[in-house]
Amino acid sequence: MTEVILAVKDLRKSFGGHNAVNGISYEIVRGEIFGLLGPNGAGKTTTIAMMTGLFKPTSGNVSFTMNGQRWNSSDVKPRLGLVPQEMALYPTLSAWDNLLFFGRIYGLRGRKLRERVKIVLEMVGLADRAKEPIDSYSGGMKRRINIAAGLLHEPDVLFLDEPTVGVDPQSRNAIFENIQTLNSTGLTIIYTTHYMEEAQRLCDRIAIIDRGRVIALDTPGNLINSLGGGLIRLGLHNGLGKTVAHNGRAHPEVRDITIMDDCLIVETHNPQKALIGMLDIINQMDVRVTSLEVMEPNLEAVFLQLTGKSLRDN
Amino acid sequence: MLGQIFAITIKDLKILFKDRAGMVMLFAMPGMFILVMSVALQGVFDTGTDDKPVEMLVINQDNGGLAGEAINELRDLGGIVLIDEIDGQKLTLEKGDRLIGSGEYQVALVFPQEFSVSILAAATDPESAQATVTFIADPAASPQFLAPVEGAVQGFIQRVAAYAQAPQKIEAGFASLAEEAPPGQGDIVSQLGTAFVDRLEKVGGLDGSGSLGVRFEQVAPSNYQLAELPDSVEQNVPGYTILGVFFIVQVLATSLLREKQEGTFRRLLAAPLSQGALLLGKLLPCYLVNLIQVGLMFSIGHFVFGMSLGSSPLALLVITLATAAASTALGLLVASFGKTLEQIGSLSTLLALTLAAIGGMMVPTFVMPEFMQTLSKVTPHAWSLSAYQDVIVRGLGFAEIWTETGVLVGFAAVFFVIALCRFRFE
Ligand SMILES: Nc1ncnc2c1ncn2[C@@H]1O[C@H](COP(=O)(O)OP(=O)(O)O)[C@@H](O)[C@H]1O
Ligand SMILES: [Mg+2]
Repeated sequence: MTEVILAVKDLRKSFGGHNAVNGISYEIVRGEIFGLLGPNGAGKTTTIAMMTGLFKPTSGNVSFTMNGQRWNSSDVKPRLGLVPQEMALYPTLSAWDNLLFFGRIYGLRGRKLRERVKIVLEMVGLADRAKEPIDSYSGGMKRRINIAAGLLHEPDVLFLDEPTVGVDPQSRNAIFENIQTLNSTGLTIIYTTHYMEEAQRLCDRIAIIDRGRVIALDTPGNLINSLGGGLIRLGLHNGLGKTVAHNGRAHPEVRDITIMDDCLIVETHNPQKALIGMLDIINQMDVRVTSLEVMEPNLEAVFLQLTGKSLRDN
Repeated sequence: MLGQIFAITIKDLKILFKDRAGMVMLFAMPGMFILVMSVALQGVFDTGTDDKPVEMLVINQDNGGLAGEAINELRDLGGIVLIDEIDGQKLTLEKGDRLIGSGEYQVALVFPQEFSVSILAAATDPESAQATVTFIADPAASPQFLAPVEGAVQGFIQRVAAYAQAPQKIEAGFASLAEEAPPGQGDIVSQLGTAFVDRLEKVGGLDGSGSLGVRFEQVAPSNYQLAELPDSVEQNVPGYTILGVFFIVQVLATSLLREKQEGTFRRLLAAPLSQGALLLGKLLPCYLVNLIQVGLMFSIGHFVFGMSLGSSPLALLVITLATAAASTALGLLVASFGKTLEQIGSLSTLLALTLAAIGGMMVPTFVMPEFMQTLSKVTPHAWSLSAYQDVIVRGLGFAEIWTETGVLVGFAAVFFVIALCRFRFE
């Protein structure tokens, strides 16, 4: 039943010596919503560019399986839809003119073209504003037209690159509903974001990306369960982190402690008890606490555990 | 693919025609320049106004004395100041030629060495060689100014020649009469009178209609190409049209950068659309706008100012196609260098105005010093203007504009190749 539609193998891309994508591999299953979650600059957009055939990879390859055959990205371009992270629209033209234009680029003509434009406009709920210039739209409306433009030619695989940046909560919910509806009709969706709630809510599987590498790949549930319980991040004043960590690991409620810069990341099944234990140790050693964060078990915590950074940092 | 190229072209034309600032730059600005400058500068290019007293250089090379007599007569002619020496030195042919060529004086009168001899010889022998009196005239001087001056001078010289010939002619008349005179006839006096006039007319009358042994010719100074120069309209209409055509550089470069920055290129390149088709689709609308600009501006020139369009519309079309190719290619070149809209804005404005100024769009190159005239050749503008003026000023056709259009196509090719090597869609 699970049929791989897109396989990415050891994909790399460097821009003048800097490795934006540094060896990424995964397989995407037909009909799933696959998330690429990572902070800004992680390499999500570059990865999408290689998957959609915009950039040639420096090395590695991308292959699609459609109609029982394997294809390169450039062979299946008419079957792929891309919604770029920028508002990729002509601001002085109306939504209608924008969509007509992009439809024509995909080879749609005449009545069929106008029908498709109407259908996607209705889907994103902007049919009544279609003749107004994009300039006059709110951020959320622009995002919805941006998505509509990627759907005109009824693609089999849709790449959505941060489609909710700068969007009000109402538009965001509308977009989520659109995505879920599309997915229920069998569309395979690759969704990049740096918002962990979005990935958690929408995606069947998530690849967490940092500095051009996949650092974890699983269903949201499995990723969160791997934490055990929750995380505590402790910022300490002077360089006694090592001793505190050593003593802390002996505490029964603490599973493990990692040291990242000035911070200790404490993994635990029971954040409350572990916190009391850690504070005891710190008190005895007379170390000053500069920051403290108790985190629920969520993807943010997973990212923190894996990288020592917050997704939103930077 | 053709459908995609047209889709991009139509889309860009829509965007362009909605862009007020762009429209003003491409159409209103050159149109305004043409209207204002053509009217304001009317007559400025017609160097030599009739209000100034006419100064005429005189170079007397005559071995005899007749030229000197003619010069003395001419000094009495009102409205003309004769100059036969400068800084106390008698004018030579070389010096006079140089003074006209450099534009310091507009016309010089040259009496040849054989002036006197030829006139006297012609009195008895109408077939004898004629002396040539030459006017060296600045080609930039208007015919309305030159013609009356030269006409008056010619008349005086002819009169001097006729008077000089008169005694010899009368003598010759009596001589031929004496040979045939019948001896002892009564009414010999009346016959003599009639016959005298008859004979006189046979050898050439006093009215100057016979051979005076002198003829006149007008030449350009030797360091001056005999080229017809444009008037105000013929300078300003093509000049500011070309200036406007090259404003497309900014429009094209800006449009390309916007597509990059706003992600629309990303969307287009993810579609089954080749980079070549995308680029063609971007260039074509600008190219078309260039053609419309030229059509419109030349129409203003023709219908508002009565500018001649020459006799070869085909030549005008070919020049326009080549000029538009150079300007769109330059636009692509600027786009391949500019990283921000600000860079592109200032670079293309700088280029549009500097190249136009150097190329002689605003001030014609023929009033510029020589090194500037040479420098102007590095601009496509100068070649385009020269080609247009070949057609509309000099009445040349298709066959005579190949050099200029060839150079323009060369500019286009060089711009285009460099641009293609540098241009990135990302
Ligand atoms: N065209 C490019 N030229 C040079 N560097 C680039 C280019 N595109 C992206 N990068 C760099 O590659 C890294 C990854 O960028 P990107 O894929 O856009 O990340 P993300 O989409 O996850 O925010 C960043 O460091 C970025 O600066
Ligand atoms: Mg990105």
